[in-house]
Amino acid sequence: MKLLRTLWESLRHWPLGLGLAGGVALVYGGLFLWLTGDLGGGGGGGLHATFPSWERVWEARGPFHFEPVGLIEAGPLVWTFSPVNTLVAWGLGLLLGTNLVLAWRLRRVSRICGWQASGSTLLSSLPALLAGGACCAPLVLIWLGLPLARALASMTPWLIPLATLLLLASLVYLTMALASSIY
Amino acid sequence: MNGSRSILVSLAALLLSASPALAGVPTVFPAEVPVGHTLEAFRQAVRPGGPGKDGIPSLDRPRFHSADAADAMLDDRDRVVGLYLEGEARAYPQRILVWHEIVNDELRGKPVSITYCPLTGTALGFHRGDSELGVSGRLVNSNLVMYDRATDSKWPQMLGVAIDGPLAGQGLDELRVIWTTWGAWKARHPDTRALSPETGHVRNYRRDPYGSYNPLSGYYLPESSRLFPVMAESRRLPPKATVLGFRTSAGAAAVTTHALRGEAVIDLAVGGTYYSVIHDAVLDTGWVVHNPRRSEIRVEDLQFGPQGVTGGGTEGLAAVNAFEAMWFAWKAFYPDTLLYQGEEQRP
Repeated sequence: MKLLRTLWESLRHWPLGLGLAGGVALVYGGLFLWLTGDLGGGGGGGLHATFPSWERVWEARGPFHFEPVGLIEAGPLVWTFSPVNTLVAWGLGLLLGTNLVLAWRLRRVSRICGWQASGSTLLSSLPALLAGGACCAPLVLIWLGLPLARALASMTPWLIPLATLLLLASLVYLTMALASSIY
Repeated sequence: MNGSRSILVSLAALLLSASPALAGVPTVFPAEVPVGHTLEAFRQAVRPGGPGKDGIPSLDRPRFHSADAADAMLDDRDRVVGLYLEGEARAYPQRILVWHEIVNDELRGKPVSITYCPLTGTALGFHRGDSELGVSGRLVNSNLVMYDRATDSKWPQMLGVAIDGPLAGQGLDELRVIWTTWGAWKARHPDTRALSPETGHVRNYRRDPYGSYNPLSGYYLPESSRLFPVMAESRRLPPKATVLGFRTSAGAAAVTTHALRGEAVIDLAVGGTYYSVIHDAVLDTGWVVHNPRRSEIRVEDLQFGPQGVTGGGTEGLAAVNAFEAMWFAWKAFYPDTLLYQGEEQRP
């Protein structure tokens, strides 16, 4: 609870940080949906949405990948919309964004206080970045045609939970480091 | 007492006849195709493809619309898989198949499965009896491993022989389907109907996750790399060069599309007997006939109709199923295959 309060307090009065975390979440979530195939090209222009398959909302297509329930066309984009996939994408994006913003904040605090912690804060954001990328790595490799994709394909079921755990662990570490620097 | 027993027996018979899970796919035993590796070796070579079982959902209640309606979605150069059976023509657009890989269909009471594997560029049709085929989520030699919903036996699509499960070693009953373009299929079958994008699943049917056939790009480029390991390799052709392959109990053979287009008829000796591969210029595919006496095929007398090639000396010659495939996959399944690349290489 204390950690959550510290996290909230460190972001509550920092609109720029909140905005940055939200921005990263939006961009990462969009990229995630693009790479997993939910978002793609082929739109005929204009805005059009249909939701014919709500009964499939919990139907899994693969590990942590669910059936779309609707089709949203917006200009050149086509979004096969699954509420669950969208939650996963933006949830991971928010975790990644918060990690990056906290790492940045910690770096600034340590500079102001004259600590030597700036290297470790940058280092601490590395797992977050790697974890964020891991979710879509097999798809990127398939696009690039790299044989490594076959090794990652067998790991696919573990990538999203692994990424979530890494991001949460990194978030706890950063929040604790920030708390000790403030109090 | 007798009355109640007969009611029970009738009920049991009714339940058994109504349950598709209890009826199997029609099989051929022994399989009429060469099996280039042991079944154990195939089982060892199976890899997860990413999505789980039925993660790529087969279409089990397909809807069809007219060619005019399909024109709104399809360009004449778009790829389709065509089927002509019992006097009826149907087209299955590649851009729908790439998302489902299997269509469990029925034509005039005949249950069939139209199957497509994007990673090997192969389309094959099978009689499915009262059962259905589904996508297992596994691959061998990059090829779709299907399962049948009656026995859960595992069938690599290009092999057409079960490698695992109660039907291991048995072959599926194949039917010829045509890998061609929408424009060509319409020209041959003006009254064709086409698989509708109203599939019951929400997918972006305007986008192919692997690349494009129109224009050719991404994974489908001949020189691009394959993704998964294979059981046999050859560098005689680019990995994804298209070949027309056929296999019989005598062996397997493949001809390049380049050679097929260049020569109207190709005669091949496979396993001590002879076959003729006849180019169909409209559909840009080949028809294979068993020609054990090496009868002359008169090109000028050949006729191409809805059912394939007739006339020109093909009368009485048995048709052999053939299908297009990416070279790396054909070689992986049929390591002893004959490869014909053109007139200049004829022995």
